[in-house]
Amino acid sequence: MERQNHHRGHRHDGAVLSIDYCAYASAIRGWNPYYKTAFSAACLILCVACDSPAVSLAVILTMGGISVGLGRLPLRRYLSLLSVPLLFILLSGAAIALGVSLQPAGQYSVHLGFFYLYLTQGGLTQALGLMLKALGAVSAMYMLTLSTPASEVIQVLRSLRVPRTLLELMNLIYRYIFILMDTQCRMKHAASARLGYCDYRTALATFGRTASNLLVVSLKKGSTYYQALASRCYSGELRFPAGEKPVRPVQVLLAVGFLMFLILLWRITG
Amino acid sequence: MSQRQRKLFACFTVLCMAVAFAPTAGAMHIMEGYLSPPLCIAWGAVCLPFLALGLRSIRRKTGGQSQNLLLLALCGAFVFVISSLKIPSVTGSCSHMTGTGLSAILFGPAVTSVLGLIVLIFQAILLAHGGLTTLGANCFSMAIAGPLAAYGLYRGLRAVKVDRKACVFLAAFLGDLFTYCVTSVQLAAAYPAAEGGAAASLVKFLGVFAPTQLPLAVVEGILTVVIVIGLETYASRELKDIGYLGGNEV
Repeated sequence: MERQNHHRGHRHDGAVLSIDYCAYASAIRGWNPYYKTAFSAACLILCVACDSPAVSLAVILTMGGISVGLGRLPLRRYLSLLSVPLLFILLSGAAIALGVSLQPAGQYSVHLGFFYLYLTQGGLTQALGLMLKALGAVSAMYMLTLSTPASEVIQVLRSLRVPRTLLELMNLIYRYIFILMDTQCRMKHAASARLGYCDYRTALATFGRTASNLLVVSLKKGSTYYQALASRCYSGELRFPAGEKPVRPVQVLLAVGFLMFLILLWRITG
Repeated sequence: MSQRQRKLFACFTVLCMAVAFAPTAGAMHIMEGYLSPPLCIAWGAVCLPFLALGLRSIRRKTGGQSQNLLLLALCGAFVFVISSLKIPSVTGSCSHMTGTGLSAILFGPAVTSVLGLIVLIFQAILLAHGGLTTLGANCFSMAIAGPLAAYGLYRGLRAVKVDRKACVFLAAFLGDLFTYCVTSVQLAAAYPAAEGGAAASLVKFLGVFAPTQLPLAVVEGILTVVIVIGLETYASRELKDIGYLGGNEV
């Protein structure tokens, strides 16, 4: 099982990095990364800029369709990933919809001690529209991240002339995240086998010690990593072979068509 | 308002409160799609000078040596891993540290701004915390404002000879709280209330997120102290290499 996961991507600490795993397993990984980035960014921008529930809904459905239908991502996993931002959406939705005043106001209000918590129709509509917009934007981003490994995203950033130091750090950090996750996972197992997480106080202490040990171990290994890279002629720039992934004309047509449709939808409903 | 509506509304309020009491640090990343395009661009523009300074400081520190860049990358990966780990929480639900206070204390605010930006990008891409359009706003609150506050506090308190552990705790704790306040200001500026404007809205956002963020900030402070103690015990030499301790003996 472990080995099988390894050659398709990384999956070490349960759900923590499942997006990376999905990106490697996606059936549309072969699509051109520039095309995917441009399309998802265009949908994202339209979804945010139009601010219309119809457009948001169209983006949610289409992006979900691409990720699940074409990318062969299990629907359950997609839905559970969509629920990640749910808490933020609910809390800030509540803050936007609800109002506080000293007198009863709005359509619905509750008396809480010395003040009133009220809800207006306008606030409710705004909060619902915002939730749809956020879900639309998140699903547009998911379309990209669930089908494109991080190294390809960095490759796209490189052609956008992002500073070289930044990209180099990104490449290295991306690799080290998995190494450190692996190390941390083993430390955690070792600690829990020794009752390191038996109660809350101990758990806090164990967590902190594991974390500091993680930095110590990785700093100590730093020179080993450097020698490994230097022996392969590393001189401050990592270049990965990017396979040829041509864009098919149909894809461009469909993407442009969909974007036109979104703008039309916005014009009609807005 | 009928009896039934009253009950429904009360239930909804209770539900919101219940959700609010389950701490999740991810909740303080502004989600994708929450800010209008002008605000996205404006916050991004605010971040740029800080990031430019950070990049310059990194280039100067590494001095073109790829070995030093590699050490910095390890630190960045460490911040990401710390911020993505589930920390022990009272309610058993999942919550995360921000790790930016720790990073500011260990590596300094200039380096932290760049590392924080990269960590935020990977959090958006790999964990779906935050987003790409809200990157500027999140970067300002988590990678710039919070670390600057934490670093300033740490330095200030050290200068007046407060105990090192107390300094670390206060810096991490208040840095975390500051991040949460800045995020609330950003949200309030984007969604001013119909009555009372942005100020009323700020109070609402602060109130809604307070139950999750206050305990979390305390936990973050405690964990940061434990981590720093561990590092001082086992890695004072490495810490000097990356610039922490400023040459003081431990």
